[in-house]
Amino acid sequence: MDKRFIAGILLAVGVLLSACAASVEETPSVVETPVETEAVVESAPDASECLACHTDKQKLIDTAKPEEADHEAESKGVG
Amino acid sequence: MAPLEPWEKVLVDAEAFLATDHGELTCIECHNGTNVSNKDEAHAGMIASPSEQPDVYCAECHEEESAAYPAALHATQAGYWTTINARNGNIPEDHPALEEMFGNHCASCHTSCGECHVSQPKNVGGGLFTGHVFEKTPPMTRSCTACHGSRVGNEFLGKNEGIPGDVHFREARMSCVKCHEGAELHGMTETAAGADHRYSGAEDPQCIDCHQYVADGSDGVEMHAQHGDGTELSCQVCHSVTYTSCDGCHVAVSETSGNPYFETEATYHTFFIGLNPIRSEDRPAKYVPVRHVPVAPTSYEFYGENLLRNFDALPTWVYTTPHNIQRNTPQNASCEACHTNPEIFLTADKVQAVEQNANASVIVKTVPPAVELFLAAMPQPAAHAELVSDSCVACHETGIRNSPMYPEDHIGFSNESCSGCHKLP
Repeated sequence: MDKRFIAGILLAVGVLLSACAASVEETPSVVETPVETEAVVESAPDASECLACHTDKQKLIDTAKPEEADHEAESKGVG
Repeated sequence: MAPLEPWEKVLVDAEAFLATDHGELTCIECHNGTNVSNKDEAHAGMIASPSEQPDVYCAECHEEESAAYPAALHATQAGYWTTINARNGNIPEDHPALEEMFGNHCASCHTSCGECHVSQPKNVGGGLFTGHVFEKTPPMTRSCTACHGSRVGNEFLGKNEGIPGDVHFREARMSCVKCHEGAELHGMTETAAGADHRYSGAEDPQCIDCHQYVADGSDGVEMHAQHGDGTELSCQVCHSVTYTSCDGCHVAVSETSGNPYFETEATYHTFFIGLNPIRSEDRPAKYVPVRHVPVAPTSYEFYGENLLRNFDALPTWVYTTPHNIQRNTPQNASCEACHTNPEIFLTADKVQAVEQNANASVIVKTVPPAVELFLAAMPQPAAHAELVSDSCVACHETGIRNSPMYPEDHIGFSNESCSGCHKLP
């Protein structure tokens, strides 16, 4: 087959396919404008304070309140 | 159990705790408070025991348990009120005094979810078990027997000198929850839901849950063939040994410290078989071990006069299930250990005069006769099954309706013991 004939067919198919393609609308490029937002409260990880203290044996010893006497310390006999 | 140091009670093992599901929650999600370094500020508004509100803090993940638990005995303490009300006669004007007494001396036994699963009970000083790691199975000695210690715990663990611990612990290292499963403890079983006393409803757990071949004697044990069906003897009658009883508990508030306290007059070890005071279809045994509870007519007199005015409504020698089970015991060594042996039964001479009326339903009036006599006894006529009256002597003492009069050697026997020998065919 004539090479020019084949090239013609391929060209025609190409033109047809390109006609079927969805048209792409040109969109204006997005311009990012700074938006004023409220300051985000950064939630500190909970572990930072509670666990820092409650995993520190010496700190707990230093800060422990003296315990009240055993509620039933004056009891006598088997409960 | 030695109390924990104050710091020890709140020391968190971050590495272990943060690796658990509960460790995925922030401290504040459950405990409130504020995440700051100042202690007072951090603890302001803190909830020390979130699980006192299981519907709020536990239900999202533990829905069924959280819904059921508020009606469970460990939460309601209904057993206390069942007996207090009965011995008081449920007199409305006495209730303020009784409620004050209860609040001072009994309410601390109320148990939240956390007091079994993450910390020791408040009743014994509290304190985290294992650095705030939640334990699905509560550690027995730091949880169960921390409260149930002076009787059940000591008996089960063999802490009473000279008395062996329960075979289930001694030989098999079983813990409490092996029998008392979560569903029961959470109030999720039919018996446990809304129970008004630890022995209300059907026995749960039952020995035969595991020992199925005992009840019909198909395990080859002759005594099980004779007594194993549970209508005559509870299992503990043959398989428990000496256990703790107490006398004369009185409660008051200290004049010096303002703290409540109690005093018990005596603690001692006995083993007595009594009549079952709560005999029913659910608990059909005629004979059960009985334990003396330390209530006295004047136990609450600090709070008001005559608050136990209906004292005789309940026995002071109560139905009990001692947790010191043994395969071989003095009383199952021979038939004669019980038959004809008054020493092992709660007879009237063993009960204080002031408590005779209260214990009328448990005192054994006639000791079971010799086995030979028992085996020789003629059975009742089948028609007796239809008799309305259960008074045998009504006919057999007088010979009315041509009924055979009982022989002279039966004079000491009473109605309660007739059917023990003269069975229906």
